[in-house]
Formats: sequence, structure tokens, C-alpha cells
Amino acid sequence: MKYQLKLAHLYGDLLNTYGDIGNILVLQYYAKQMDTDIDVKVVSLEQDFKKDAFDLAFFGGGQDFEQAIVSKDIQRMKNELTAFIEDDGPILAICGGYQLLGHYYIGAHGEKIEGIHALDHYTKSQDHNRFIGDITIKNEEFNETYHGFENHNGMTFLGKGERPLGTVISGHGNNGQDQTEGAIYKNVWCSYFHGPILARNGLLAKRILLAALKRKYPQADFSKQEALIIKPTY
Amino acid sequence: MSFKSSLAITVGKSSRWFLHKFLHGGTSLPGKIALKLDPDVLKALAKDYEIIVITGTNGKTLTTALTVKVLEKAFGHVLTNPSGSNMKQGIVTAFLSDHVSKKSKRKLAVLETDEANVPIICQYVSPKYFVLTNLFRDQMDRYGEIYTTYDKILAGIALHPKATVIANGDAPIFNSKNLPNRVVYYGFDNQAEQDQLAPANTDGLLCPKCHHILHFKARTYSNLGKYFCPNCGFMRPELTHYVSHIDQQTPQSSTFEIDDQQITLHIGGTYNIYNALAAYTVGQELGIAKDTIAKALSDNDEKVFGRQEVIQLDDKEVTLILVKNPVGLDQVLEMIKTDTEPFSLAVLLNANYADGIDTSWIWDGQFESLPFDQIPYVLTGGERFKDITFRLRVAGVNEEKFYQEEKLSDVVNSIKQMPTRHVYVLATYTAVLQLRKLLNEQGYLKGGMD
Repeated sequence: MKYQLKLAHLYGDLLNTYGDIGNILVLQYYAKQMDTDIDVKVVSLEQDFKKDAFDLAFFGGGQDFEQAIVSKDIQRMKNELTAFIEDDGPILAICGGYQLLGHYYIGAHGEKIEGIHALDHYTKSQDHNRFIGDITIKNEEFNETYHGFENHNGMTFLGKGERPLGTVISGHGNNGQDQTEGAIYKNVWCSYFHGPILARNGLLAKRILLAALKRKYPQADFSKQEALIIKPTY
Repeated sequence: MSFKSSLAITVGKSSRWFLHKFLHGGTSLPGKIALKLDPDVLKALAKDYEIIVITGTNGKTLTTALTVKVLEKAFGHVLTNPSGSNMKQGIVTAFLSDHVSKKSKRKLAVLETDEANVPIICQYVSPKYFVLTNLFRDQMDRYGEIYTTYDKILAGIALHPKATVIANGDAPIFNSKNLPNRVVYYGFDNQAEQDQLAPANTDGLLCPKCHHILHFKARTYSNLGKYFCPNCGFMRPELTHYVSHIDQQTPQSSTFEIDDQQITLHIGGTYNIYNALAAYTVGQELGIAKDTIAKALSDNDEKVFGRQEVIQLDDKEVTLILVKNPVGLDQVLEMIKTDTEPFSLAVLLNANYADGIDTSWIWDGQFESLPFDQIPYVLTGGERFKDITFRLRVAGVNEEKFYQEEKLSDVVNSIKQMPTRHVYVLATYTAVLQLRKLLNEQGYLKGGMD
């Protein structure tokens, strides 16, 4: 392959519920069609994230127990992750990963679980309720419709500088109130979508890959990659 | 017994008789009626039985069936609830329909119990044994997290500190809390030891004591194995009964040794060896001789192994296998790979409530491990065939040998076109039911739908 991308799978051995690993498999699938190899490395407890060692990161969700452990451990990577984000490093963050990039979330027993404050959102919890079911959103900026399956207790509220991944057409979204779903900040894409999100929304996978490629190879001509046709899968 | 209980039992029994005789059914309705008349009826019904509760994510049904088989060999009739009727009404119905025969040497009840139902059932009956098979992620839209599930089971066990817990010793979660109960562990001890980690996409890898990542000296699959924590020394407990050697595995059978006693189980899959091992351990706990247990487990009993059935579809030998969660799916994929003959493959995905409405789990299954270059025909189908089609595409299926059919009747026709005698159909719960219904209508199922 002509191009290589190094992907950090943040806490891949702890946060791996709901088939989120499929996002990495799908990235590799489309990357291949874009003449690109993706090398995946799990970055977890006792390992380090260095911003210059990776071109791309994926951060999935997990069970409450594991997420609470990650919340404590990830603080030691906070500066490098924040620098990576500010330097336009692409990250896809789902569910718990999404919450942990923000300020905090409230756990199942009312405890406040610290995020890394890299993005300006926070997450509250609902009493004895989860948003569960199919969800469809529309991103006006790209004129794209995204399909997914949501399953979360958290209600996330976006902050300054963040725009939603899309507007809810059907389903609940970030909090069931303001019609937003997910978040975009620089090259960080956040969402509650499972399914996994990239399996059903190949256009988003392509967008993330192009962002990573253009950042790593600023001189290269990616017109062929941009012309790649993504067939509907859902 | 109170008048209320007697009345509930009488009405429940007669409704069961009526339903059974005239409607050919009634696995939970009589229980429902009896419970309505007396919410405590189970207490009265279960009073004189020695009760064995079997629970866990995977393997409940087969472990229950094998345990019944072992106990029946030694003691005669044993009460049990029919497969799948593992909620409270189903269990009450099972007691209502029990006929204790004079030949029975002990009054035994083996109850397959849904994980969330353990604390409920435990308010009414006093189990002598709890058998814990495993806890994996399973249809998370319904069940939630494995730790929450375990807490529910423990809430039931806590009501009966004198009961013995028979647990899968290879599962770290079953060693995570100290119980006042006597605990007997079973597991695998058949591999050379080598320090290793589980693959990243495995759940339950944190040491429950110090929260570091667990290592393994030997691993059977998923997070099951001879685990240890290099940080705090937490490790697999000593096993009382263990698989010491696996001699041979095919998709239809496994031959292995437990405590050096050879057993041939007439159903494939390493996960089913765990189920046999659990049943073996119950047998030993109840004082049954090793060779009697081995004989019972080695019996080729169609009634027991019905869940994985082989259907003759013209000249095709179609093995229909239920898949419902990633760990189970991976084990099925491992099993079919042991076939020495070439085979074709169909995967049918539905997403109704009973299947789990979220199809994300198919991405946790390791379809990448299939030898696609050797599989001459791969078919996807079911109501969510688009999801499974893209999953297999990403896994590397050969496009020239890849077919999709939305309609089940087309799936059946497509299977008939497959170029191999052996065909494996992996299907979610409602897809299995729909396919069986269709095959029954077409006259391919022996003995109808029962």
C-alpha cells in the first residue's frame, strides 16, 4: 500500500462493548480501497499515548466498571491527547469514549466520573431510563443522513466550539431534549451510535480517513481517494 | 400447606392438563394461573425437593439437560423445566406437572433459571446447589452488564448460604467475591502453560481485586482459562474436577477426559465440553460414580442434543445452529472449522426482540477467522441480511462465491444449490424458528415441529 496510518485503539481491551471494534475493521476495509494500510495498536493501562506516534485514534465505550477505571488512568495521557486534538488529530469516539473526552459524566450510582476536558461537553444521567433503539440523524453541513442504534443512559450537553454530528430525525440523540446527536470538534467525531457507526455510514468513514491522510501527507494528491464511491450498506 | 396454595396447585394442575390435552401446549400458562391465585405457590410446590439451579449466559439449556441425564441414570426420574421456560411461570408449571414415580430414589429438581430470575426464584425455593456456567455480554439491550448480572445471581445465592456453588473456575468473575458458601470449581487443565494475554476485544479482563489486566497461563476461549494477575497475585482457584485432555473434536462430537475418565459427547464445540463438565461435577457432588456419569454423558440422545440439529434437505446435510452472542458465535465458528469435509455456509440475521434488537454484536464475532478461500458458497439472509452481508464483506468473503437472499424461501432454494454436501446454517433465534416452520411446511422436518 502507498500510504500508512497508525491507529491508537484507546483502551481496546477494556472498552469494547456493542461491536464498536467494527469501526476499526470498517476503517481498514475502506482504507484498503484508498491504497492505505492501517496499523492498529491498543493503548491501555500501563501504556502511553504520544501525539506524534499516531495518525488516528478510536475510543469506544464499555461497561461502567471498566469506564471508571479508564477515567482514572486516562488522566496521565490527558495532555498528549489534548495536544493531538488541538493539532487536528482525527479521533472517532463512541459512547463512553465520547463522554470521557468531555468534562465528566455521572455514573450509575450518582458518582461524578472525570473526563479529560479536551472537549467542552458534559454528561448527566437519567433516572432508571436508557435511550434504546434505532436512530437517524441528518448532518446539514455535509448533506448526509446517518443511521445507528443508540443504547445509553447518559444525557450529553454540548459546549462552546462543538457542533453536533447531526440533527435527530428519529430517536433520542445526545439528551432527548435539544435534537442534537454526537459532536464534532476540529477532527474529532463523537457519537452515541452503535451498529457500529461506520458500518452503516461509510461516508463518515471516508471523511475520517481523508482527514487523517491529508494531515499526514499534506503534499499528496488524494483526488482518487476522494472519488471513492461508498455503496450503501444499510 | 395453606388452603390458598392447595387451591392454586389444583387449579394450576387442571389447567395444565386441559392445555396439554386439548391445545398441545402450556409451558407457562398453568404456572401463571397458579401464581395469580397464590403468589407463594412455588414455596409449597418445591418444599420436598433437592433443588439444583443452573444459570449463566451460555450453556444453561444443555447443562441442564446433561445434568438431568446424569442424575436420571443414577436416581431415576428427575424434575426439570423444559428448555427455554426458565422464568418463574415456567418453573411453577414444571413443578405442577411433575409425577414423582415410586422408582425415584430421590426427589430432585434441576432448574434452568434465567440469570435475572435467580434472586426471585430463591425467595421461594431453597437450592442445594447453584451451577454457574459463565457470564458474557449477551443482548445488552436486555441484560446489561456482566457485573450487574452477577450481582443479581449473588443476591439469590446470599439467601442460601448453606447451598454449594458449583462454578466455572476458568471464569475470573466467579472468583471475584468471597462467598460464605462452599464453592466447587471446575475448568480446563489440558494445555501446556505459556504466559499470554487475551485478544483486545474480550470482555471481563480486569483483575477484580486490583484492576490490572489479567494474564493467562492457558486460555480456552474468551476470558476463560488459567488466569492470573501479575500485579497482585489473584489467580484461578484450584479445580476440583477438570478436563485433562481433549482427544478429538469434530462438528458433531468431542472426545475428552475428565479426571482421566474418557467421555464422548455427541455434540461438537469446546463450549459444550464445559457444559458436560458442569454436569459431571454435579454428578460427583451427588455421589454418582465416575463411570456412570461418563456413560450418561456419552449416550447419543437426540432429545438432549436437539438444539444443534441436522436436517436432510434433499442431498444436503444441513446443520442448523442458533447464534445469539459473540462468544457463542466464535465458538460455533471454531467448531465448524473442525469439519474435515468441505462445507458451505449460510448466516441468517434477524433483529426481533428475542434476537436482540441491536445487531452490533455481529462485529464482535471473529468472522475473519473463517477460511473463506476454502468455502465454495457463502449465503446471507434474514430480515437484517444487509447488516450481515456487509459484516462478511469486511471479513473478507470471496465476492464470486457470495450470495444474498432476503426471503427465507429463496434461502432454502439457495441452500439446495450449494456445491457441498455439508451445509452450516447459523441463525438467530427467530430466524431459526422461521426456517424450521418453512422446512416443516415443505416436509423436511422429521416428526413435525416438536
